[in-house]
Amino acid sequence: MTLMLLVLIPVIAALGVIGTPRQHVKWVALIATVINFLYSVILAYAFKGWGEGGFFFVKSFNWLESFGVSLGVGADSVSMLLVLLSTMLMPLCVWGSFSAIQTRVKEYYAWLLVIEAAMIGVFIARDLIFFYICFEFTLIPMYFLIALFGSNPMTRVRTATKFFIYTFTGSILTLAGLIYVAWACASQNAGVWTFDIGTLTAFAADGGLTAREQGWILLAMLAGFGVKIPLFPVHTWLPLAHTEAPTAGSVILAAVLLKLGTYGLYRFLLPIVPDAVITYGPAIAVLAIIGILYAALICWVQTDVKRLVAYSSVSHLGFCVLGLIALNPLGLQGSVLYMINHGLSTGALFFLIGMVYERYHTRDMNEMGGLARRMPVWSTFMVFFVLASVGLPGLNGFVSEFLCLIAAFTATPDNAAYPGVLGPWYAAIAGVGMIFAAMYLLIMVGKVVFGPLKEPRRHAHDHDVVTLPADLTAREIGVLAPLAVLCVVLGFQPGIVTSAMEPAIEETLAVYPERVLAVEEIQTAGAQSSSMTEVAIDG
Amino acid sequence: MMHTAMITPASWIVPFISGADDAHGHHGDHAARVIEAATAANNLGWAGLILWLPLLSLVLCGVCAARGVKSKLPAWITVASLAASFFVTVGLYMQYDAPVTIHLFEWFNLNWSGGSFIAPFALYVDRLTLLWMLFVTGLGTLIALYASEYMEHDVGKGYTRFFAGVSVFLFAMSALVMGDNLVMLYLGWEGVGFASYWLIGYYYTKPSAVAAAKKAFIVNRIGDLGLALGLYLIYHAFGTIQYDQLFQMFQDGSAAAITEKGGWSVSAIPFLLMLGAFGKSAQIPLYVWLPDAMEGPTPVSALIHAATMVTAGVYLLIRMFPVMELHSAALPTVAWVGGLTALLAATIGMAQFDIKRIMAYSTVSQLGYMFLGVGVMTTDAAAAHVFTHAFFKAVLFLTCGAIMHGFAGQLDLRKLSGLRHMPGWRIVSYTMGYACLCLVGFPFITSGFFSKDKIMAEAFVTQGPGFVVLGVIALLTALLTAYYTFRVFFRVCMGPKHYEPGDELHGDDPAHFHPHPPRIAINFVLITICLGAFLAIFAVHKFGFLPGGDKGYAWVKASVIGSTGANGVPHGHHGETAFFADPHKWMVLAASTVTIVGMLIAFYFHLANRKAADKLRASMLANPVTAVLPKAMENKWYVDEVYHAIIRAPLWVVGHACAVFDRYVIDGLLVDGTGRCPRFLARLFQPLQNGVLQSYAVSMAGGIGLVVLLVLLMPRLLEALNAVGGTGG
Repeated sequence: MTLMLLVLIPVIAALGVIGTPRQHVKWVALIATVINFLYSVILAYAFKGWGEGGFFFVKSFNWLESFGVSLGVGADSVSMLLVLLSTMLMPLCVWGSFSAIQTRVKEYYAWLLVIEAAMIGVFIARDLIFFYICFEFTLIPMYFLIALFGSNPMTRVRTATKFFIYTFTGSILTLAGLIYVAWACASQNAGVWTFDIGTLTAFAADGGLTAREQGWILLAMLAGFGVKIPLFPVHTWLPLAHTEAPTAGSVILAAVLLKLGTYGLYRFLLPIVPDAVITYGPAIAVLAIIGILYAALICWVQTDVKRLVAYSSVSHLGFCVLGLIALNPLGLQGSVLYMINHGLSTGALFFLIGMVYERYHTRDMNEMGGLARRMPVWSTFMVFFVLASVGLPGLNGFVSEFLCLIAAFTATPDNAAYPGVLGPWYAAIAGVGMIFAAMYLLIMVGKVVFGPLKEPRRHAHDHDVVTLPADLTAREIGVLAPLAVLCVVLGFQPGIVTSAMEPAIEETLAVYPERVLAVEEIQTAGAQSSSMTEVAIDG
Repeated sequence: MMHTAMITPASWIVPFISGADDAHGHHGDHAARVIEAATAANNLGWAGLILWLPLLSLVLCGVCAARGVKSKLPAWITVASLAASFFVTVGLYMQYDAPVTIHLFEWFNLNWSGGSFIAPFALYVDRLTLLWMLFVTGLGTLIALYASEYMEHDVGKGYTRFFAGVSVFLFAMSALVMGDNLVMLYLGWEGVGFASYWLIGYYYTKPSAVAAAKKAFIVNRIGDLGLALGLYLIYHAFGTIQYDQLFQMFQDGSAAAITEKGGWSVSAIPFLLMLGAFGKSAQIPLYVWLPDAMEGPTPVSALIHAATMVTAGVYLLIRMFPVMELHSAALPTVAWVGGLTALLAATIGMAQFDIKRIMAYSTVSQLGYMFLGVGVMTTDAAAAHVFTHAFFKAVLFLTCGAIMHGFAGQLDLRKLSGLRHMPGWRIVSYTMGYACLCLVGFPFITSGFFSKDKIMAEAFVTQGPGFVVLGVIALLTALLTAYYTFRVFFRVCMGPKHYEPGDELHGDDPAHFHPHPPRIAINFVLITICLGAFLAIFAVHKFGFLPGGDKGYAWVKASVIGSTGANGVPHGHHGETAFFADPHKWMVLAASTVTIVGMLIAFYFHLANRKAADKLRASMLANPVTAVLPKAMENKWYVDEVYHAIIRAPLWVVGHACAVFDRYVIDGLLVDGTGRCPRFLARLFQPLQNGVLQSYAVSMAGGIGLVVLLVLLMPRLLEALNAVGGTGG
């Protein structure tokens, strides 16, 4: 059982795709992704980490030994869940692209497979350099997917370039921060370099980094991970990239690539710079809350459906970050669950928008309306996933949103088991996002799905080799149905996910309660002394 | 003089109508009532069927939709499963003797060292649960049966979708009422909101229906946020959101300790819960969605927006009554909001012409009475009013629906008259008449009289800020209610025969239009529910001359006493006086008087001399000063417009401002601006590459100079950087 195979299968398949005749390419890609999914299921079955802490399937291959760089892999329950999310979505992305992509098919499916390999690599990496390479390598396939298959031939190259440079610039700083950690660790260990993530986090947990160092590293990490998530105000690449990207690209972006950012926070930020997280946690939470409300208001005035859903991702991921910064088990479990749930529901929404786009070649809400009459099946799915996204109880979105909010709410300094740095006000203000979400999504549904039928003219495009029927085909239903089923299952049985990762979460949080109390003591002491000086001055 | 005049007739009436529970009850018993602790019942798992049967019906409706069934099958599936659900509820009622929790499956189950967050999918059954579930499932079944005929135009089109929506609603409502914790209540709470959205927007090609559905969901979401935050605070303060544990803490005093040191975060709880209740039960300031919700098919209005869902707020307050007492101002707030809503909605209802809308405002108004009841600490009367109102308001909506169905969508009371004389419309007219009597609280023969009376009397009895004023407001509202209700009845059912068809002719020629009187399903349901409205008298009032009874109380009162709302039930009476006498005694007379006066005014203006009403209206409109009043009432006091101006429009502006800011400032100026920096720098130095040897020499010298300077200044620079870093880190 090796995790490396999860990365190798798509890479090999990507090479294989290049040598395959054009008309068989999509099937090769589909089979490869399905095999990878089945393999990940087998791995999940054999995985010992469900309901246990620690890493499993740990392997390390020598690579650049003199620099301490290795190809280390391993997975804890959180990694494994995100790997499953990625491998589950990939066959759907491939299958969902069957009709949309008619030109340059080889390149398209090859890049899709490469991006799968890179994403999985991020989640299973146990070596910093390997992690970083995979993290950056997701950009290249996405660059080509946008630049070659973007919806607007006039702007797609520019968008792709902007996406690339923006996220690349951020993550370069993250690399600098991470290397600094390795350097600090090496200088303590008599100059022996290692990039093993476990070693580095242990080093940091033992107080290897001063508070000042942690502050800078936090900033560096946020530069990369914050752009990926994306946090306000470094989010503007996302609506552009999403709107331009082909359907499968948007799905992957929303469902998995954004999660690389939050996963980064979970894997690196929380364990490596705990003191800085405690000090700057409220500031990060404020950014997340601004993002929630600000993006939601922008959603409200959008006319492009895809842009609307793209901005809604900014809003939703704010909840995810809020859950992480709550620094208690409720929040972390809610946050990881949020990553999965957002992947399912927003991924599905992008699929749905893509399906309409394939038929009408427009995403403008003012041009279409009342599609329930023409496309009842599509409309049913649309309403369903919108409700999942709004957080209707009984569906998945509710559970994670609820947990993130209640976690932020109870993350007060006097919380007995896990004192935190947030409190009721954070949750109360973020909760307004729930109302906004209902507003923008229902307005969108009200315009597009309901109302009198308004159909854009169906353009006869040159590349429309496949003509699609008015409503969804069996293939398209097949793409959406598994996601819908998962939404219901996770809505009623969130325990599948939450109890699986409980110990891993508690391990990550182990360093916190003590430190939060320590920091707060210093702060109250500081406040007291300053008030004392005031008294002294007055006296 | 007034004093004696009021007491004398009342004193012979009171012994006749009052039972053991009212005037001669448990005197001087001031100790808080005990909330019985719930025990886990392992043998009652079948009670889960109450939830699963509607869900099964939903799935089967889904199958029907997928197979394209073009018959009434979905209706029969729904009616059958709802009826089964009702019988399971009755079975549970038979089995019941003490509060129990019934575990179905794990839902939220998060544990960590030092804490947990647990919300199982489980049921909490006490008398209150049963009271609510009996009328929810019972009326649900009957109204689904009614809808099987009412919706028949849509067989093969939206028929399946309609019954699927009804099934979703019954599932969610059962979860709301039966849930054993606040998260399940929240599930039901949002679930019924969603079902309401689904069914209000049933005619989805109609923009007004879509807008109304959206409005209902969004306004409710505002209340939901309050409920959610209240839930978080309860968890934060008490560490649990399961009823049995929570109320146990209130029994054994551990809650009191928490409350004492809790500060604002504890005292905010009742106000947040209240906000949720105001949203769902359409109270000020969140009532605006309910009148618009009448865009849905009429059975939906009857079931969801009159009988069941809108009473969820009252349920919440009674269920959480001990929590509502965490702040002394909470219940008076509820009372005032309820009283003012009752009055406001009644004034709007007086001036509307659409009979369904009048009923909608009357629902808002009656819900106001229920909140008033909870607020003045008479949860039993509030529950009694919920119970009686469910029956008679369902009848009123269903008769409106029958009229709408028969007259091609006509709902304007000016265009319908003398229904009573038309063949096939007898049952509709008489059931409507009786339901109207119930609504206005006609003395002795209607259930509405007994339930409303107790609320109004208690408003005068209970000590509280301005409660006497509230009692007067309640009496005034009763007068208005009598007027607007019988305005509808006298106009539509009585008088000369006259009608104009509405605009939903389905291809019929308006010149040869004939009304379609209702058939067996509708008539049967009308009579049954009307009978229920009558028999409800015996559920809400304990008659002295009838033997037996439920522990000496009326059935509904016994139900509330056997629940977590027990503390809100008044303990006997101690000769309280207001206006020189015990309000329990004189209220009978006062309420009857205002009711009959209101009915007489309606009789004069809308039956005996209809021209006088038109003349009065015309003369009021002619004078610019008096014209303000009828216009404002017709336009619902412009509340929607005000909300639009102070909430929606500013938000819309902010939204656009954010979008512009995002595009031009964040993305344009900051991001693209930063992106342009390298190019800009390159342009700056471009002239240096001019191919002239001398200039290269100069720039080389300059470069060397710069390097030397840097080397010399480096230590200083590093110091400065460290200083900056020090403040940053």
